[in-house]
Amino acid sequence: MAPLIEIKNLNTRFFTADGVVKAVNDVSYSMESGEILGVVGESGCGKSVHALSMMQLIPDPPGKITGGEVWFEGHDLLELDEREMRKVRGRDIAMIFQDPMSSLNPVFTVGHQIVEALRIHTDLTKKEARERAGELLTLVGIPGAKTRLDDYPHQFSGGMRQRAMIAMGLSCMPKLLIADEPTTALDVTIQAQIIDLVKNLQQELGMAIMWITHDLGVVAEMAERINVMYAGSIIESGKVNDIYKQTRHPYTIGLLGSLPRLDDPPGTELTAIPGLPPDLLALPEGCAFAARCAYRTEKCVAEKPSLVEVDGSDHIVSCWHWEEIAGKQANE
Amino acid sequence: MTNITSEEIIETDYAIREHRSLWIDAWQRLISSKTALLGMFIVTVFVVSSVGAHFFWEYEPKKDLDYSLKLKPPTLVANEEVPSVHLFGTDKLGRDIFRRVVHGGWNSLRVGIVAVGISLILGGTIGLISGFYENMNMTSMELITLFGVTGFSLGLLSAWIAGQPIQAFLLAGLGVVAAAFPEFQKDKPTRMLIFAAAGGILLAVPALSVSKTTALICGLYGVLSGMLISRALDGNFFSSTMMRFMDIILSFPGYLLAIAIVAFLGPGLEKGMIAIGIVGIPVYARLTRSAVLSVIQKEYILAAQSVGEGHGRILFHHLMPNILSPVIVQTTMGLAAAILSAAALGFLGLGAIPPEPEWGAMLGDSYRYLASGAWWAVLFPGIAIMLSVLGFNLLGDGLRDALDPKLRT
Repeated sequence: MAPLIEIKNLNTRFFTADGVVKAVNDVSYSMESGEILGVVGESGCGKSVHALSMMQLIPDPPGKITGGEVWFEGHDLLELDEREMRKVRGRDIAMIFQDPMSSLNPVFTVGHQIVEALRIHTDLTKKEARERAGELLTLVGIPGAKTRLDDYPHQFSGGMRQRAMIAMGLSCMPKLLIADEPTTALDVTIQAQIIDLVKNLQQELGMAIMWITHDLGVVAEMAERINVMYAGSIIESGKVNDIYKQTRHPYTIGLLGSLPRLDDPPGTELTAIPGLPPDLLALPEGCAFAARCAYRTEKCVAEKPSLVEVDGSDHIVSCWHWEEIAGKQANE
Repeated sequence: MTNITSEEIIETDYAIREHRSLWIDAWQRLISSKTALLGMFIVTVFVVSSVGAHFFWEYEPKKDLDYSLKLKPPTLVANEEVPSVHLFGTDKLGRDIFRRVVHGGWNSLRVGIVAVGISLILGGTIGLISGFYENMNMTSMELITLFGVTGFSLGLLSAWIAGQPIQAFLLAGLGVVAAAFPEFQKDKPTRMLIFAAAGGILLAVPALSVSKTTALICGLYGVLSGMLISRALDGNFFSSTMMRFMDIILSFPGYLLAIAIVAFLGPGLEKGMIAIGIVGIPVYARLTRSAVLSVIQKEYILAAQSVGEGHGRILFHHLMPNILSPVIVQTTMGLAAAILSAAALGFLGLGAIPPEPEWGAMLGDSYRYLASGAWWAVLFPGIAIMLSVLGFNLLGDGLRDALDPKLRT
């Protein structure tokens, strides 16, 4: 079966006064329909920008997609013009955003905004759309949905707003839902509710979900596959178990190692990855992570590793020393 | 512990309480402020009396003349010397000042509305488009429309110089061509040269039929316009060009520019309105642009894009209501400023043509008689100007507090 979406060598650049910011570098991967993919990485590693690039929502200028293909249902999305792209947005690929406080327009009622999203892509009358909006709000678990349609966003709590955003995203039953850090701005109990909600909805409706986050705990719980991004590139990708149990990239090891653990004795200091991510204006010639890496050799500084398959599965990693790391892990 | 009755719960629980719309909310905040109420009262009196006088109280300024009543002080009852009642006295031509003040209100109201209308519509459009396309990619259709309109507006000047409307359409055509072929010789000096030459030829050739000098002027103007059109390939450039142009207008002292424009257009209340309107454009352009820039960064705009909404919808549906409050406030304050400017022009004899009743002109006519004791001829039009300006300013202040409670100090 052909994958739902296939990204090939996506490159996004921001042309600023200080120089060219290489925000996304040669990102390639594919997603099956109905799959949940987690995209993790620290701030500024290109996880949001690559998703926005897929939707052609990069502000231009200064941003520009300088190369690559995004194949979705037989079309290269990057070849579509704005008019055709609008039909894809919301209908086939929908997106929900990080900050539920600002992603709803404060001057319109929640119901109005969902109705609007519905009526862009369907022929529903206002009345039918309103009814459907009510159903959607019920679906995402807002009590008294019918009466809540006439509420303004400020009358909703953060969690409810994120639910409303999800309802809006689901309004046209997209085949792919991109969730750009949807739980970052919420407190932990609400986070858990939203994650449960999305998981249930995914099972019910069967769409694919791309879950962008920096929270490794969240993706471990939800995703089937994980892409780890660093400095605009995918550095490791594989099934959740492979990533967590057979980590092959030093950066991923560092990320997992820096998580606090319940069984650590009190007072244990968190292990951080030393140094800072590289300046995207001037990426090093070799491996972008070399400067912070414990396994660094001259080869790492001189030559950029490419993604190679590990252990014969679809676990891929871009590191010159993955075999050494594998050996070390086997010894432990 | 006190018991709470169910009625009290309904009264206080926000979730159950019937919710009010933004406008009703703002209205209630507005009428809870005493100064805003005072402003609203003054403005209402001003508007009602002006409109009422214009439609229901006949006045023909050209026939209003009675030297026997020259400069009579205010009278409350008719007497032998002054057979008719003049609440505010009479002026140097024996005209009833009360009547002229009330009728002058109509002129001030007209100036305010028309001048602010010009500034708001032109400035607001410039600001909206500039701010919007600084952050949005233009589709090819939008680019072509924008360039057509820009070319047309640029062409208006040479069309006026040569007296040939076709010039505006020629430059509009050049704009459309430039926008339709953005890749042609992109980033090369050839592009600018070709468009400059095309602009020069397009404008100079039809102008030849007028005179050689006109052709030369139009040709030079065409070269400059062509260069501008060839360059402006994105919203950012359009925006910064527009804003620098606004800066140029702003760099003139407001009254001086208005006087210059009136001197250029000729006197008359209508010309005064246009002059005051043009002077006000940059204020509204910069205000709307900055408001758009702050709102467009909000995530709900990105969210609207991500559900597939088009530019027009985002602009008019999502942006406009969100930038409305500062614009409403500025418009109210602008009415006061426009009335004041009109009075200033009138005082200098550049506004309304006598004997048309106009507050500034009435002041200008009468201040000479102040020394001979005719205080009433100056005082009442002066009070009228002061009160109407004060009223609009108070109302504007109240509106600012009501529409944007966060700004309240």
